[in-house]
Amino acid sequence: MIRVERRIEVNNSWVIIMYLSACIVGFLLTSLLLWLSGADISKAFYALYKGSMSNQKTILNSLSKATPLILTGLATVVAFRAQVWSIGQEGQVYSGAMSAYMASLMFYGLPVWIYLSLIITFGALGGALLGALSAVLKNRFNVNEIISTVMLNYIIIFFLSYMVGGGPWTGVGDQALIYSQSNPVDDTAKLPFLFDSKKLHFGFVLAIVSVLVCHVLINHTPFGYEIRAMGHNSVALKYRGTNTKKTLLYLMILSGAIAGLAGVSEIFGTNHSLRGDTLVGLGFTGIIVGMIGGLTPIGTLVAGVVFGGLASGSVYMKIIAKVPGTLVPTMEGIFLLTFLIAGVASHYKIVGFKRDV
Amino acid sequence: MLQSTILKTNQLSKYFPGVIANENVDFLLYKGEVHCLFGENGAGKSTLCSCLFGYHKPDSGRIELDGKLVKFRSPGDAIKCGIGMVHQHFVLVDDFTVLENIIVGTNSEKWTLDLEKSENELRSICHEYEIDLKFNSLVRDLSVGEQQWVEILKSLYLDAEILILDEPTAVLTPEESKKLFNIIGKMSKNGISIILISHKISEVMQADRVSVMSKGKLINTISPKDTTPQELTNMMVGREVTLRVKENKDIKTTTSSKPLLSVKKLNYLNKYKKFALNNVDLELRSGEILGLAGVSGNGQKELFDALSGNLVPDSGTIIYDGEEIQGKSSRYYMDLGIGLIPDDRYREGLIGDFSISENTILGWQRDQKYNKNYFLNHKYIKKFAEDLIKQFNVIAPNATVPVNYLSGGNAQKVILAREFSHSNKILLANQPTRGLDLGIIEYVYEQIKLKREEGFAILLASEELEDLINICDRISVISDGEIRGTVVAQSTSIQEIGLLMTGQVETVT
Repeated sequence: MIRVERRIEVNNSWVIIMYLSACIVGFLLTSLLLWLSGADISKAFYALYKGSMSNQKTILNSLSKATPLILTGLATVVAFRAQVWSIGQEGQVYSGAMSAYMASLMFYGLPVWIYLSLIITFGALGGALLGALSAVLKNRFNVNEIISTVMLNYIIIFFLSYMVGGGPWTGVGDQALIYSQSNPVDDTAKLPFLFDSKKLHFGFVLAIVSVLVCHVLINHTPFGYEIRAMGHNSVALKYRGTNTKKTLLYLMILSGAIAGLAGVSEIFGTNHSLRGDTLVGLGFTGIIVGMIGGLTPIGTLVAGVVFGGLASGSVYMKIIAKVPGTLVPTMEGIFLLTFLIAGVASHYKIVGFKRDV
Repeated sequence: MLQSTILKTNQLSKYFPGVIANENVDFLLYKGEVHCLFGENGAGKSTLCSCLFGYHKPDSGRIELDGKLVKFRSPGDAIKCGIGMVHQHFVLVDDFTVLENIIVGTNSEKWTLDLEKSENELRSICHEYEIDLKFNSLVRDLSVGEQQWVEILKSLYLDAEILILDEPTAVLTPEESKKLFNIIGKMSKNGISIILISHKISEVMQADRVSVMSKGKLINTISPKDTTPQELTNMMVGREVTLRVKENKDIKTTTSSKPLLSVKKLNYLNKYKKFALNNVDLELRSGEILGLAGVSGNGQKELFDALSGNLVPDSGTIIYDGEEIQGKSSRYYMDLGIGLIPDDRYREGLIGDFSISENTILGWQRDQKYNKNYFLNHKYIKKFAEDLIKQFNVIAPNATVPVNYLSGGNAQKVILAREFSHSNKILLANQPTRGLDLGIIEYVYEQIKLKREEGFAILLASEELEDLINICDRISVISDGEIRGTVVAQSTSIQEIGLLMTGQVETVT
């Protein structure tokens, strides 16, 4: 029988081996699925490569797809590290997008940098507000955060549907009504592109900055200490004088604000008009990204980029290799499982093969 | 008397990461005997029992039951073989009745419950052992002693032939303990073999045989008739131990008569609408240790919570230096210089997955000392922790290991180190020595006494009356949330305190 033992100290090379194994097993399982679906495996993977990182254009496209996922992944990290099981990233993306859109209408005409800063700030505030609401519900009435965030998701998603599908923000013309979208935002409200690419935009910079800020915040500030302590033992934290209700409120505001930025980035960087369908699933995928990233900001950045690549490559897989489109979320699920297993396994070691006594 | 062996271990070993829990243990249990396992914490008593009960799988060695080799994959297997275990923390469903608790999970083969049949069976067991229990009362309404009976009944109901009791009297009053030993005596007469884990020498002396364990090894098995308590204790520790440090109490004369912290008519109703605190009056003075004697669960926890700002009393006042502070936040109390050693150290005192150095600043993580321009000063914190490790003799490879990997005693030292270095007026210590080795107990008391000399006002709750008498200046006795009396330690006796606990005399000095 194989005997395993918990490690006292984490061994870095072992961790790398575990995560590499997770990748390999993930790809093997994916290949199995591709084979079952009747697709040509090598062709499918070639298409994935081609569509995600074969040239500058596809790489930038991958990064652009990664941008919102990195942000929602970070939002997950901030909450989950404190063992606050917020599922509200999805709704916070929507509310961030909506309040940013509101800002773009309100402040139209201001100098472009002030205008953009206000749009971004309002986006963050919109997400933060929704996060704060869940925290208040929990602090005041002891409402479970899973319930409140999921319910708020529904409310905000349908609210956006109303606003652009017949409500006051519905765009002019049949096209806008059919697709439930607003009028295009003004050119000055668009996030500037990076590298003249027409793909990768300023949202990516926001994501990278957010990663660094979260990394420093979680590991090197008293607030981060409190977030981590809350995740491990909130009773002891509270017992020794920390107001954990305040900690919860602040971390939910932070988590919501970051998720809100994902909404800004998607609407003002990529889509350029407010519509619900482009935001679907960003928050939920972010949960997977954050988990695969081992609930660390840096890990989330890596996982987000990989997922961006998958999203970008999947289009090619569909066209070139005739792989069913639903296979991509399935792959994401497979990788989530293998990475979670690797995450647990990296804390153990094999101490020997021994016969059962 | 002819003794037949019922259970036997042969060279049993069990290792945990970095720890030898059991090594080459040869343990022999006779039919119908009361066999005591005696040893310090971490000596391997509980691990041995966990192996016997199927919780752990031994790494090597054999377990023989009735001469046959057995391998337990889970406690379920052990129960099927007639082994029962009563844990220190009961495994009962509060909202179930006594009857439901006993039969839960017992007849998994059937789809229906025959409550009447079970009740009749139980009634006869209760009658036999003179246990008086109402089967329809909810477990949460029972006293701790009665809950323990439920646990024992559960094993008897399953026809256990071997019963393992893990420190059964730790939570009982002296009266309840006496009853328990009556029941144990009857069980042994009926041929049930009993393994009793205990720290308390008085209980050990009542057993038929004693196995002394130390550092994972079984040192010796003897009959208490052939030895003395002192000899057994020395055997367990491997050296001479004396806790009786009679000291000169001249310091007492310097005690200020004005209390630093006074508690007046403190009341608190717990969630079951019972008085957890009932008109509690206390006074803490600088340079004095006030003992709080009583069986745990009689209001100590609530009192300590109230005095550390973790519980808002329903009525009454807490006055610190002339200022009413009841209902303020725990932060406020900490900033006044009040240190707290909570009784549940892993739940309330430490963050298990955090390193030693992170734990040494728990609660003071926002203190300027540990921060540089809004960022934690990791270098300073590490140095701070390393100094404390040295100063308090914490046995650990370095300051970055998680406290989960420390032994109970060393984990407690981390709490002492933190609280001592951040408080300067009052120290609240609730059961600071519970579950610790004798050596560390001595150390903890030494440290507390040092703090008294520095002028701290100290409140020390313990179940070990003898220790309290040795260390404290005054002792208040708490029972059912009431202070039953306060006595001067020098002129009292265990008997007097015991009588106060049971409410038979009124003494107030």
